Amino acid sequence: MQPLACTRKIHFVPLLYPPSCFKLKGMRNHFSIFIFAAQLLFVGAAPVAAGYSDLTLPRIIYKGGNDNARPEGLRSLLSQIARRTSVEVNREPIELKLSDPKLFKHPFIYLGGDEPFEPFPDKDIKTLREYLSYGGFLFIDDNSAESESGFDRSVRRMTKRLFPQTPLRNIPRDHSVFRSFYLLNTVSGRAIIQSYLEGITLKGRTVLMYSANDQAGAWSRNKLGDWNYDVIAGGYRQRQLSIRLGINIILYALTLDYKKDMVHLPIILERLRRYQSP
Amino acid sequence: MNFLAKIFGINPMEYDQWQLNWAPEDPWLISVSLGLIIPLALWFFWTSLRRIGSRPKKVFIFFLRIMAFSFLLIVLLRPELEFKKSHSLKNHIAVLLDNSKSLSIKTFPGESPRIDLVKNTLEFNEKYLEQLNSKFNVDTYFVSDEIKKTGSHLENYRPDRPFTDLSRVLNELERSYENKPLQGVLLFSDGADLTEEPKKISEGILKSLARINAPVYTFQAGSNDRFKDLALESISVSDFGFVQQPVHLSVMVFSSAMGNRNVPLVLKEGDRILVSRIIEIRNDKKYYKVDLQFTPRKMGKRIYTLNLPRFAEESILSNNQKEFEIDIARDRVRILHLNGRPSWDSRYLREVLANNPRVDLLSFFILRSLGDDVAAPTSELSLIPFPSNLLFDDYLSSFDLIIFQNFKFEPFIDKKYLLNIRKYVEKGGSFLMVGGELSFQGGSYSRTPIEDILPVSFKETDSWFIDQEFHPKINEELFNHPILRLEKDLQLNREVLAALPPLQGANLGLVARKDAYVLAEFGNGSSSPAPIIVAGEFGKGRTALLATDSVWNWRFRKEGGSRYFHRFWNNAIDWLIAEPQTRRLQLESDKDRYQEEQQVLIKLKLLQKNYQPASGVTGRLTISSRKEEIIAKEITTDEQGEQTFSFLPDKAGFFKARLEIGGLQEEVMFSVLKDNAEFEKPLANDFVLKKIAEISGGKYFLLNGTNDLSGLQFDNPKIKTKSHSRSFSLWDNWWAYGLVAGFLFLDWWMRRKAGLS
Repeated sequence: MQPLACTRKIHFVPLLYPPSCFKLKGMRNHFSIFIFAAQLLFVGAAPVAAGYSDLTLPRIIYKGGNDNARPEGLRSLLSQIARRTSVEVNREPIELKLSDPKLFKHPFIYLGGDEPFEPFPDKDIKTLREYLSYGGFLFIDDNSAESESGFDRSVRRMTKRLFPQTPLRNIPRDHSVFRSFYLLNTVSGRAIIQSYLEGITLKGRTVLMYSANDQAGAWSRNKLGDWNYDVIAGGYRQRQLSIRLGINIILYALTLDYKKDMVHLPIILERLRRYQSP
Repeated sequence: MNFLAKIFGINPMEYDQWQLNWAPEDPWLISVSLGLIIPLALWFFWTSLRRIGSRPKKVFIFFLRIMAFSFLLIVLLRPELEFKKSHSLKNHIAVLLDNSKSLSIKTFPGESPRIDLVKNTLEFNEKYLEQLNSKFNVDTYFVSDEIKKTGSHLENYRPDRPFTDLSRVLNELERSYENKPLQGVLLFSDGADLTEEPKKISEGILKSLARINAPVYTFQAGSNDRFKDLALESISVSDFGFVQQPVHLSVMVFSSAMGNRNVPLVLKEGDRILVSRIIEIRNDKKYYKVDLQFTPRKMGKRIYTLNLPRFAEESILSNNQKEFEIDIARDRVRILHLNGRPSWDSRYLREVLANNPRVDLLSFFILRSLGDDVAAPTSELSLIPFPSNLLFDDYLSSFDLIIFQNFKFEPFIDKKYLLNIRKYVEKGGSFLMVGGELSFQGGSYSRTPIEDILPVSFKETDSWFIDQEFHPKINEELFNHPILRLEKDLQLNREVLAALPPLQGANLGLVARKDAYVLAEFGNGSSSPAPIIVAGEFGKGRTALLATDSVWNWRFRKEGGSRYFHRFWNNAIDWLIAEPQTRRLQLESDKDRYQEEQQVLIKLKLLQKNYQPASGVTGRLTISSRKEEIIAKEITTDEQGEQTFSFLPDKAGFFKARLEIGGLQEEVMFSVLKDNAEFEKPLANDFVLKKIAEISGGKYFLLNGTNDLSGLQFDNPKIKTKSHSRSFSLWDNWWAYGLVAGFLFLDWWMRRKAGLS
């Protein structure tokens, strides 16, 4: 038996899935097209009943560079979280500056870009340090799909200032982020620049994760349900693994090391032994 | 003697000796000094007489000078004549009678107590002892863990002391006779000295024997021949244990002459058998080590009883049962935390619980809803089945606290298990429901056993949840409630509560029950306030609710800091699991264990519902042993809501003090110990008695009640001591000084007559 939950709260945001999602073995293609068309009738027709404690993904605005290189990325990820997990989400990501007092209402923030950006003011660095120390989580995503990009250099410069004594380190494969929902043993993305995630861990809690693989690029899809960006040197599986990684990162921020509780270990280890993730 | 007595005018019958004493500390030094000076002076004097022609005259004058010098010497040496009366000094004999409890043990074949062998022997040798008493100073002592001098009458000789410590006894005996001649010691004992290691003699005994330097004759009362007994010799177990954690006991069973048989060893708590074990007793084996294990289910001071069957032919029956007490505490707080969905609220609460070293946390997050499409086979997911049967049937009672956080029970928990939760709380468990849209009515808990146990009832409302920012209004009456005590100082606590960041989102449609503690409310002005933090009691358990899912705001804010968030939850957990400091009625004894004849002090403290001291409240205190009520007393609290009561138990055993006051009741247990250690190791110890006799130069005897002691002879050396005396000075009188002056004057006059200067 799987732990399935009946959510009482109903979100009327349409689940926009492409026709390919409804293709079942032996089913005619026009049925899936019909379902997709039916979904379109409800686009924008229902209100969002967003709760304060529901998951909201703020995107950090900063000076210089391009802080919104994947405009549809977070919305697409939120949609996938709502579709696949019991997490209640606010479908629309929001924008935040580090200096915004509302920052401390959102324990998860996203920082993406594909260009070098200006060093953060000292005040913002201090705020971000406090934010992470008090229990916040920052996911940094390099959308450039390039090795040693300008964004990458800016990120490394920023993280050095953020925690001088605690540099970015590779996140080991037995970290909870690789089993918080899906069992993963690869770090996917739109482009595989690094086969690992990097992060900063404080007192046993990873407060910052950095991916150089343009995760948001793999997540992004338009309102018609088409993918905005092709994955590089991969296909459907690579994109799915990126989405799974995105969901796992969110679930890690929400449940921390829950999946390392002893009650989970025997089953997870048995599945990991059998399951050979590509 | 008579002549001298006549001279000095004393009765010669009063004195039997006389003695000349010289007063100077070193008369020899003076004598030698004067022996050198006087001859030299006399030689000069003799030469000065050469002008005198007459030899007789010359010799006479010289004689006068010698006499003058002689009397001068007597004055300087200050001689005294002492007349004295003296008599012979008696030596001491010490008779040591063991009066420890082991002397009450039956000995075979007569089946009389060991002490009777001692008494019979003393009676049988009465004449010898009288003779001994006339020649020596015979001192009789009762010895055990102490040494106490007694008279020759033995009416008070009873085996009532807890144990024997021969090392201490001999040490104190030696100190008593430090300046007295001790000629011998008679020690009547069974040798059952638990302070001595088997087949060894302690350093303390050896040292004392060396200092006593007199023969010790040892008389063993009782032997181990045909000694029948089955005993719980020792129990090795910790004084404290932890609830739901196995407690290990190691029991040493002693068997002597009990034949070959199987006997059950049973461990009980009250009348309930916890564990039993069959011991195969064999004639050729005396000691049996048995390891037992049991798991305490309830906290507090628990009394356990170990039992062996009692057989009529045993020497001693009381050592077949032993009671002991273990203080069962909570080692860890076991919490079951169920989350309806991952959220920031559940994440931060889990962080508090998981990081609390006192907490054993079992948490479940419902990660996937019924309608969710995970787009992956189960083998690629980390999700596990939800073990509702195990949690809510088999292991429910092992949890100290159950938390439902924004959790809808269907379809994970069968409705019948909600009844189990109700029973669990009723019996003393704790339950907390944390708000959210899946809690309370939103979780379909209306008219379920969960609604019964919560301190609120549900009412129909248009909306079950409101998403609005608010500052919870703290109930002024309950500022002292343990859940709200974020700071010890009341004023500071008030400020801290007021400064907490606002909450957002509240469950509606909750009505606090009459007996509930409404700690905080939410009021938007338009309707009646909605309870936000409510605590209550159900049966023996405690329940609470938090009708919001935004307390994480108190953790994740720059202002306010996170420590109050942690403190709030720790307070809530402490209150829910009824930690002692959160109880309104506290009853305790000043000690867990008392010795016999020790005063027991019971203290109570009563707080009102608002946790202020409850003064002037009268309740009923009863103190009972396991079988009967001993004391029943009305007791009234003072201004501080406190009171004490003391009493002196008239017997040993386990006692329970129970107080009913102000609608509350509390119990405390304590024990009054009686030292029966010697019954646990009842064998006579011939080794130690033989060794004492051998080392001291005495002799060892095994008593049969008719032993003849007349063969024991003690020397009484003729040491004499004076009883009275009288001294006469031989120099400090007129004729001594007169003779000196007379001889010198006559010497001077003769010299003048002879024409000398």
